[in-house]
Amino acid sequence: MRPAWITSKQTLQARMAMPSQVPAPTPEAGMPAYMESFLAHLRLLVGVPFEYLVPDSRMLPDESIRFFYIDRSWTDRLVDGAISVGKIGTREQAHHQGNHPLVRQQLDVTERGVRDLQRQTISFLDLRANPRLGAANTITGFVLRSGAVSGWPHMDVRAYTKVLPANYDPASKSATDAQLPLLRLERLSTGVLIALFEGIPEMVVCEEPHHGVQFGVHESGGVFSVFRRDSTAKAIGGTDITVPMRNVQRRVLGIAALRRKLKTDAALPAQTGSASFAIELLNLPWRQRFAGEGGKPKFTGTGAFVAGVAIAPRVTQADIQAAYKELGK
Amino acid sequence: MALTPPPKGCMYLFDFATPPLKPGSYRMHASTDVTVQGKPQPLADDRFFDVVGPRFTLAPTEVAGVFPPRNGHGPFSEALPQIAIKRRTLPWERPLDDKKPVPAPSDGQGLPPSYPTPFLALLLFEEGEYTLLQGAPLENVVPKAVFQRLGSPQNILCDAVEADASLVDAIMPSKEELQLLTHVRWVNKDDRELSVEGSDGWFAIVMSNRLPSPGTKCRACLVSLEERSDLVPADPPAASVPVPGIQFGQFLQRDAGPSHKIAPRFLEASPHPSYSYVVGLQIAKTRLVLLHSWQFTSEGNGTFFDHMQGLDVGLLGKVDSHGQPVLADTAHLRISLKDRAGTDETAWYRGPLVPFELTRDPLGPYHSADQARRATPETGVEDVSYASAFEVGRLLAAADARLAQELMRWRRESYQQAARSGVLIAIQKEIKLDMPAALAEQLHTVLTPVVATAAIGEMVKGSGPIADRYGITTASKTPGMSAEAVKEAWGLGSLLEAQVLLGQTPATPGAEAPAIPQTKRPNVTLEAVASDGTSLQTLNAARDRILQGARIRGGG
Repeated sequence: MRPAWITSKQTLQARMAMPSQVPAPTPEAGMPAYMESFLAHLRLLVGVPFEYLVPDSRMLPDESIRFFYIDRSWTDRLVDGAISVGKIGTREQAHHQGNHPLVRQQLDVTERGVRDLQRQTISFLDLRANPRLGAANTITGFVLRSGAVSGWPHMDVRAYTKVLPANYDPASKSATDAQLPLLRLERLSTGVLIALFEGIPEMVVCEEPHHGVQFGVHESGGVFSVFRRDSTAKAIGGTDITVPMRNVQRRVLGIAALRRKLKTDAALPAQTGSASFAIELLNLPWRQRFAGEGGKPKFTGTGAFVAGVAIAPRVTQADIQAAYKELGK
Repeated sequence: MALTPPPKGCMYLFDFATPPLKPGSYRMHASTDVTVQGKPQPLADDRFFDVVGPRFTLAPTEVAGVFPPRNGHGPFSEALPQIAIKRRTLPWERPLDDKKPVPAPSDGQGLPPSYPTPFLALLLFEEGEYTLLQGAPLENVVPKAVFQRLGSPQNILCDAVEADASLVDAIMPSKEELQLLTHVRWVNKDDRELSVEGSDGWFAIVMSNRLPSPGTKCRACLVSLEERSDLVPADPPAASVPVPGIQFGQFLQRDAGPSHKIAPRFLEASPHPSYSYVVGLQIAKTRLVLLHSWQFTSEGNGTFFDHMQGLDVGLLGKVDSHGQPVLADTAHLRISLKDRAGTDETAWYRGPLVPFELTRDPLGPYHSADQARRATPETGVEDVSYASAFEVGRLLAAADARLAQELMRWRRESYQQAARSGVLIAIQKEIKLDMPAALAEQLHTVLTPVVATAAIGEMVKGSGPIADRYGITTASKTPGMSAEAVKEAWGLGSLLEAQVLLGQTPATPGAEAPAIPQTKRPNVTLEAVASDGTSLQTLNAARDRILQGARIRGGG
């Protein structure tokens, strides 16, 4: 009888000599979709208990924001730990050992699509077919614990590689070119938000979501006030105008009394009717800027109200006024 | 003149937009004064039409948007509720006080008398302050005098909101305030943020004058004030800037003047018999025609601006302020834990979020958490950061049954294919297979035909010429052809006898037969042959025999 092609001893030798079992281009060497997706989520700390991220709650007190870098070694260990499930012998160890560079490299690519997966804007197979290649970058981010997180769950978070002026246009080319990809933006609890960026930002912006145009006042110690705004709704600074309230309380604004007050301020648009009055009551979305200093994200909090809307007010241009009158005919 | 809409992100605000024709019944009279040959030819015609518009009900489709969002929860305590109506002229389509005018503000500071007044108001009620009535007859909603001023329309059912009269008085805007709270907005209709689907970009906005209290459920009610000059005052209640630092609750108790009656609720609700004698005290209620309403809950405090400006900003591990935990320079935190022997131990821990950039550990993979434990030489204390990372990863993965399966599948498929490739490599050391160059393709080649072909090729290659081409050797080995076997079987006397019987010459079958020796003949001439009559006869006879034979075989 002819001897077997290969003996079991030889098989074992071959296994140990080639721990990755089959080389990379074979489809079987690649990770199953679910596993790859799970590990990529882990890379961005999805599902990791908050106590592991911030081991002491005093490191993130109420109403605070903390910027950070991600320790890649930590997330690599996280993935190692996940893969260790079911690793019962030397064969599995050898297999992991052999596949490790491949897994790591693949996850560096896949982690960039986790946000799309989380938002379900792309299926995993589509993501795998269109990977965003390139070497792994530094991941940075912030955790924010604030009432702003629970109150404004859809706040807009953007990070830039350079400091842009206060009233920059997010859609402009200079802004989009400098924008860092957002890897993760998620509420960890009702009051805590985590954001991860790919790269090191110079400026981070948290912007109040735009719900169209809003009206309102600002309260401070029971006193309500509005900002002074010119006819294009731009805040012109100066002392805020306190709002008279009806003495019967019930949080009712003294609208007529406020108008009389606004009339005395010459810098404000003439109070000729409801349009100019509305401008003074406008609540524009606030854009909070956190700017770094010289490459080190030594962030300081400054910001500006953004005119998400510009007002061509209570039109003063003669032609529009004339045309408007015609419209009424 | 063409009116160009505002650019995207921009809007125009207008004080009001009055309709060219107010709702009502109209007669259109058309006449001519044509004269034909000196004789007038009057042509006249009357047509009647009605201009109608929402009056006691408002279709929900007319509402373009509301703020705060319907059923929304959020910090709306500093926001004035507003409603956007698609029909820009709607607020000015009905009169507020045509039949019983409300005078101008007494201080003479009001808007010009020609300034139109809207008939809509957005009133904000908190939970418990109001009652909604659905499908109520109009005459039950408005006072009799108002009903008459409305023209006594019959069989009108409408929704209504009912609240204490004192409350309605306290929050009802004055005529001037109504004018100020309503304006028209024009936006670019392609503007995703400002406009809504299916609108022409024009909206009438009605704002409320009341701020939601923090932590309350509120209902904003768009009410019709048509001919409600009984409710809308010329001068609003006195207003002043509150004294700073005094919270509203305190203020309310201190300053509640006689104009504001706090309704004692038990009067309405208490079923207790001992109070029955006060039940007769009815608290005056006001009902208003309700066109639209929505609820929202005001939760939390402060605006986005307040929160953001109040933030404590820093890198993770900022420890300068009082009461912060002690962190090492490396951002490690000292934690106490029980080691595996059960004794208390202090260890360092640092999470994945660090205040500086770190080099990625090139080692790995790690196969167990113990492999990732470190001891710091400076303090001699263990650093469990990476070991805990490993354990968290392991626990998260173990909690996911599907992941465990997928990990198994990942390994199993690798193993299977690896075994296959091992066999392939071993085979190829022995024989050359006709296989694709890439291993990935090799693994998916059906092996049996390839190996069979290769094996046959291998066998055939290098063998000599075939000896027994006609199979005589083989045939001679059959027992029936073997002279010896025949002799034995038939009990013949000698081998030769058996050979003769088998028709065989004693020669070895297959041996080359020697050429038969031929008679040597001298060269002859044609004449010599022709003169040999006997030979010619023999030849002729032979030919005839052949012909004869052929004829017989051919069937005659």
